[in-house]
Amino acid sequence: MQEVFTKMERKIRVVMAKLGLDIHWRGVYLVSQFLKDAGMEVIYLGNKFPEQIVEAAIEEDADVVGLSTLGGNHLTLGPKVVRLLRERGLDNVKVFMGGVMAPKDAVALEKEHGVQKVYLPDTPMQTIIDGITASVDLSASA
Amino acid sequence: MLDKKPNETEGAPECLFSQEHVKIIKENYDDWFNNSLRDADRDTEGKYFTHSGIPIKLIYTPADVEHINYMEDIGFSGHPPYVRGVYPNMYRGRLFTVRQLAGLGAPEDCNERVCYLLDHGATGVSILFDLPTIRGYNSDDPEAEGNVGACGAAVDSIWDIDAYFRDIDLGTVSTSIVTHLPSTSLVIPAMYFTVAQHRGTPWTNVAGTCQNDFIMETCVGSAPEILPPQVSFRMQCDVAEWICKNIPRWNPISYNGYNLREAGTSAVAEVGIAVANAIATAEELIRRGMNIDEFAPRMSFFWDLHNDFFEEIAKCRASRKVWYKITKERFGAQNPKSMLMRYHVQTAGVTLPATEPLNNIARSALQGLAAVMGGCQSLHLDSYDEAYSAPTEEAALVSLRTQQIIQAETGVCNTVDPLAGSYYVEKLTDEMVNRIFDYVQKIEDMGGLVKAVEDGWLHREISSYNLEYQKKIESGEMKIVGVNFQKSLESDVAPIEVFEYPETYTRQKEKLDKLRKERNDQKVKECMDTLRDMCHSEENLYPYCMEAVKNLVTLGEIEELFREEFGLWSFPLV
Repeated sequence: MQEVFTKMERKIRVVMAKLGLDIHWRGVYLVSQFLKDAGMEVIYLGNKFPEQIVEAAIEEDADVVGLSTLGGNHLTLGPKVVRLLRERGLDNVKVFMGGVMAPKDAVALEKEHGVQKVYLPDTPMQTIIDGITASVDLSASA
Repeated sequence: MLDKKPNETEGAPECLFSQEHVKIIKENYDDWFNNSLRDADRDTEGKYFTHSGIPIKLIYTPADVEHINYMEDIGFSGHPPYVRGVYPNMYRGRLFTVRQLAGLGAPEDCNERVCYLLDHGATGVSILFDLPTIRGYNSDDPEAEGNVGACGAAVDSIWDIDAYFRDIDLGTVSTSIVTHLPSTSLVIPAMYFTVAQHRGTPWTNVAGTCQNDFIMETCVGSAPEILPPQVSFRMQCDVAEWICKNIPRWNPISYNGYNLREAGTSAVAEVGIAVANAIATAEELIRRGMNIDEFAPRMSFFWDLHNDFFEEIAKCRASRKVWYKITKERFGAQNPKSMLMRYHVQTAGVTLPATEPLNNIARSALQGLAAVMGGCQSLHLDSYDEAYSAPTEEAALVSLRTQQIIQAETGVCNTVDPLAGSYYVEKLTDEMVNRIFDYVQKIEDMGGLVKAVEDGWLHREISSYNLEYQKKIESGEMKIVGVNFQKSLESDVAPIEVFEYPETYTRQKEKLDKLRKERNDQKVKECMDTLRDMCHSEENLYPYCMEAVKNLVTLGEIEELFREEFGLWSFPLV
């Protein structure tokens, strides 16, 4: 996989988390590894609640927050992360989600709740890497 | 008849085929290999492997199983080493239990689904929980936000278990309570036993299984708050000890290879780790003064039936032999029931993609068929909508019907262990036995399973397996029809109906408010104080949890107490 470098030679910084009580860590681990291999800086937090995820995004100066859930809390805690980020003035941090959910929920998260993109099962890793890469304008942020 | 042993004075051991016969077969094999095959065919040797990495030959012959002695290595069903099954008559005596999971929303909703499945011919009940219940929070704890009633049922108190089993006779039904963790196995089955008591059902009639596996707490599921491995293991043994002594028809542990496999291990590791856990538990219970024959008959196992058809069947056959040898040779069991590895099977959810979901009916049917060929005691078939949500009623019915088709139409249940004697299956079974023993030995060499978990070894094992597996999918080496192989252009949209979880939080919250008003606060405090003290003693925690749930202490309160008293463990982030 190609390393993702920019004019400024800065890596995309991604904070990844399992959302709340969801126990399935296989997917989030794998996506984290593939993003790392693609040259991104990945900080995997483990299981965290929205407030903690937003704190970490600030602390880590994240470009992207990646949320994984297969546990049914996507429509509650997903939008909460986006809202808290915006309340803290982090307008440029993009939120991506992945996991098991009804396709119409994925559409709602993207259209109504400010989630950049939801990746459902069977998504090739390269699609996720490309999606994140395209969403971040590294020259715009410090 | 079954005690007859080969007569050693006759020289060569009695194997499946005479040495002379095998010699002829080997000569013919060489001839066939060199003259009947093309170069391209010969080049494929060494390039095919089972899912667990065991090399597969192009053809198997009696020469591959020449060392196998039928009576010693395979035997009859219901007889050592139990390769062919745990009961002599197998499915002619009793068909495997058709046990479909039912858990969604509030306990009242689950009761409807359970009754629906029982009315349609299910023969056992399997109840599962939402994530707050699994990880020990009440429905109105802040941590539970967004997860109440999703993926399983919310259970907060004994009232919920009563509601779950309304109009169901606890004295006749066999119930699997899918409490992943030991800490919740101290509480939720205690609620079930108490409900039985309140209804006048004697404990001698109560039958079922709880999961109770510390690997589920520490490795398989990640979580914000995890009890230390040593503590979780102690609780696992507390549950096992108390139930073996008090609820004679209950299986207090289901060593969960299933979820471990789903999290990411090979078939060999799945069985190896579950068996290593069973060994650690046996050692601890013996240390506590129990005899192997007091608890081993009630140990049960839980396997994942994955895609590799023959390897999965070989795994089932091999695992029975491994357990027989361990209980008999290592722990000196006398009661034959101690030596029987009985297990529940669930088909592999991880193999069911979201793309073209109806294809999953075929996948689950094939995995279920392998489970039956392997001789399982009970079976759950995953539904086609696995990658979307908990199953709709329609999807659950298709799974149930698939099981019934296997039982009633295919004829596979009419004879015992129908693949026995297949050169390939016997060779693979033999190879699996050896590899499982090697894997168990590796864990023992690290100081046992609890230590291997504390060191993060198992997490590394799972992670590296997953990475290799996923790379094979990404590269297309591992084919998934409709996903990375034979992909349709028009399959972007999923046409299936997806299950909607009923609103649960408000209903659970109302019950909790009512419960807090009605219960005796003084009694609650006394139960909690005693339990708190007992956490720091060597006493078995079960009776104290039982007393607490009787007095309407909630699951979340007991689990919070455990987290306070025992502290938390950091899940290794690999």
